[in-house]
Amino acid sequence: MKIVVAVKQVPEREAALRVTPDGRGIDESDVEWTMNEPDAYALEEALQLKQRAADAGLGEAEVVVLCAGPERVQSTLREALAKGADRALHVVTPESGEGSLAERGSLDVARLLAEAVKGEQPELVLTGLQSDDLGAGQTGVVMAELLGVPHATLVLQVEFAGQGGGGRRIKVRRELEDGWTQFVEMPLPALLTIQSGGNRLRYATLMGIKRARQKEMRELSAAAPAQRVDEVVRVSPPLRVKQTEMLTGAAEEIAAKLVERLRFEVKVL
Amino acid sequence: MTVAGMLAGMVGASRNLQLAEPAKFGLGERVLLAALMLGSAGLFAWRGAPIALAIWGSKKDEDLRLRPLGRRLWRFFWEVLCQAKVIRQRRLPGLAHALVYWGFLAFALVTMNDLAEGFGCDFLGHAGAFGTFYEAFAGVWALLVALAIAGLFARRFLVRPKWLGEVSPESGVIALLIFALMATYLAMLVVKQHSPAAAYLWWAHTLVLLTFLPIIPGTKHLHLLLSPLTVFLKRPEFSQLPKLEGDEDFGLVAGKDLTRIIALQAYSCVECGRCTEHCPAAATGKVLNPKEVVLGVKTFLNVHGPGSDAPLLQDGPEGGQRALSMQAAFACTTCGSCEYQCPVGVQHLPVLIGLRRGAVNTGAWEDRYGTKLFLNLEKQGNSLGMGAAERDKFIARQGFPLFDGSQEYCLWLGCMGSYDPKGREIAADFARVMQALGTSFGVLKKESCTGDPARRLGNDLLFGELAEQGLKNFAAAGVKKIVTICPHCVRTIAGDWREYGVAPEIEHHSEFMARHAPLLESLMTGEQGGSIVYHDPCYLGRYREVYDPPREVVAMAGELVEAERHRERSFCCGAGGGLAFLGEEAGERVSHGRVRELINTGAKTIGTACPFCNSMFRDALGQVGGAAPPQLLDIAQLVARRLPVLAMVSGEPRS
Ligand code: SF4
Ligand code: SF4
Repeated sequence: MKIVVAVKQVPEREAALRVTPDGRGIDESDVEWTMNEPDAYALEEALQLKQRAADAGLGEAEVVVLCAGPERVQSTLREALAKGADRALHVVTPESGEGSLAERGSLDVARLLAEAVKGEQPELVLTGLQSDDLGAGQTGVVMAELLGVPHATLVLQVEFAGQGGGGRRIKVRRELEDGWTQFVEMPLPALLTIQSGGNRLRYATLMGIKRARQKEMRELSAAAPAQRVDEVVRVSPPLRVKQTEMLTGAAEEIAAKLVERLRFEVKVL
Repeated sequence: MTVAGMLAGMVGASRNLQLAEPAKFGLGERVLLAALMLGSAGLFAWRGAPIALAIWGSKKDEDLRLRPLGRRLWRFFWEVLCQAKVIRQRRLPGLAHALVYWGFLAFALVTMNDLAEGFGCDFLGHAGAFGTFYEAFAGVWALLVALAIAGLFARRFLVRPKWLGEVSPESGVIALLIFALMATYLAMLVVKQHSPAAAYLWWAHTLVLLTFLPIIPGTKHLHLLLSPLTVFLKRPEFSQLPKLEGDEDFGLVAGKDLTRIIALQAYSCVECGRCTEHCPAAATGKVLNPKEVVLGVKTFLNVHGPGSDAPLLQDGPEGGQRALSMQAAFACTTCGSCEYQCPVGVQHLPVLIGLRRGAVNTGAWEDRYGTKLFLNLEKQGNSLGMGAAERDKFIARQGFPLFDGSQEYCLWLGCMGSYDPKGREIAADFARVMQALGTSFGVLKKESCTGDPARRLGNDLLFGELAEQGLKNFAAAGVKKIVTICPHCVRTIAGDWREYGVAPEIEHHSEFMARHAPLLESLMTGEQGGSIVYHDPCYLGRYREVYDPPREVVAMAGELVEAERHRERSFCCGAGGGLAFLGEEAGERVSHGRVRELINTGAKTIGTACPFCNSMFRDALGQVGGAAPPQLLDIAQLVARRLPVLAMVSGEPRS
């Protein structure tokens, strides 16, 4: 069994982002990069599936990690290898200008990734629900469409569900609103977009890093030219809208009001 | 009386106490003696060889250097020859042990002469003045040793302190043999020359000696031979962790990762239980027992031999060896009491942390809290998992100046000083002290954790990344001198970072304030604050031997009171070794025991010098502090509250 995990490299959460002079992008010169968090959960799910497959006697599964981007994304691929992926595919795009990530929309990137996935013929493709930086949430589902396989989104967990309809089947748990979850059974091959928080991530280890150096990292050229269907008009930092409201009254009243707000407005209780 | 006169008197008196010699031996007796000696030596070698092989066959310590030789020689003199540690940490039994040891040294010459005499060679010269004197001198020692060993025997078998654990019957046999050795010698001093009694005694004495010898290997009495070497060879620094070498070294994973020093130390253990007696984990019902860890290593080597592939850690029901389990290794607060206490130079921390390194570097350790901590450090760069923006806001609120290279000191906030509410108060109060002194300082715009919890938990990857990052940050900012409120940061930057480069000079705020004591005192206003009990943080005390500076600071603020266990015997707060981040403890909380001890001094205030201790005690006081708990303040706060309030002028307070 082969599982491909498509990941994205995004600026670190603490990175101080600056808008480029033309106002249409981010100045990447001193940005630190990290693996997109939902993708990290996708990788974790893949690694656990590999373990589960072995435990269930379904044979040795291979986890291939895939990323498109310039040279810098190799650090993220290495990180994935260190955490346990078996090999890596790097779809190389130019640093900037023609064909670079900045010139490509979700559809374009999905095309690049789907092209690479086709070469692998995996039974399962996992990717994060959305990216922490752009948050379009498109790449996964578009990729499924391009590959012509069924997909499920917002997936928290994947289980093997035996054979049926001429192949292996899986059962996935999807997150719905308000704490509801839904179980869906589907045939393989399939593509799933993974929601954060379904698993516990693992920490990187020294052994993992050392072993990762010996693992294969194959570079593929980004064949498809960029063809944006949308256009970035302007990039700006979010405007701060902060509202502070003081609750008044006796302690009990305040507590009651607070609970009400937390429960019905903020919906955290 | 002059010394010479005294000696002359002793020599004179000793003439009456001449050691009775058996009549000259015939050939038969000589052959018998030679056979017995060979037998004893053979048995000794047969029992000792596997041990020697286990030690020598273990992994070479690549980082072992004889330098600093002076320090090593001094330690040998002080800890071995003077028995200082043995005596200091357990007065009476320690002294008794020292007497036995010195007695043995004094006896070496007599014993050799005794055996040589069996073959008709008396190199000491019985009849001569020196021989006569020396034998009488040894007689005095024989008496002292006999008394001391009897006392130790009584302690072991009648008093039975619980730290000794199961007392082994063989230690009783050894005590009896030593006693017999001394008794026969003393008897030889009073019986007639060349009498049959002298011959019987001589044979009895010699037989006891030849029985004693082969018993030594394979028992804890091996320390007689090994511990002088162990003390001399031990790693020069406290909790010194060897650098991982090559691509296959992940710490202590399998038997083949045990080094010669570790093996030597394990075989040197005398099972005295000092380490466990002082261990906060053992005292509060955790699985960890440092003595059993050391003996576990020894048993492992006995069973598997050196260089084996068998895993060192065995958890789970079929594992059997609970002493070397993951659970035990991760219960250690790295307080260092064990390592500090051990009289034979066993260094527990490189073993305990080595086992953790083995488990973490290979990913075998799975712990919800531990993983969270590592991920926080990986992603957020601080142990509390907060966003850097929180630190920025705090700095702005306090109006701390940013370090720009023009100030004398970089004030290092650390994770606690940056993010923990109480840690922040301490940092702010210390900043006020510096300001009152007119010392220029600034804080770094961006700090990442020194990697202390990662280091102690054995995550070398993470620690290395943080150390490199930290060194880079200091270099980029042009920092020359650092001062901080956290002893963990001091130790990690000054000690552990050395593997990666040279860090700027760093000191703990206690040392800084003590150095400025006269000026500080002249600035102080108001009344002294009553009685203050000072708690020695492990990482300041045992790790760096800074005991007096914080006390000087406390004395400025009030009347210094000592807890029952203080200075090098101070008892851990429970936070070290990354344990502050690992969720609820099994058994009693370490901090509760310590806080009760501090409360029992009756002091009005508990003075701390580490933000982690402070945080542990804050929680503990809430639970076991009773109705009127003492106040809890860092030493910087003790000083700051007696200083006039100044606005932070050197920074530009932003909103
Ligand atoms: S360092 Fe402290 S907690 Fe750890 S084993 Fe030694 S005495 Fe026990
Ligand atoms: S390790 Fe040291 S302190 Fe602990 S029992 Fe052995 S000799 Fe005693």
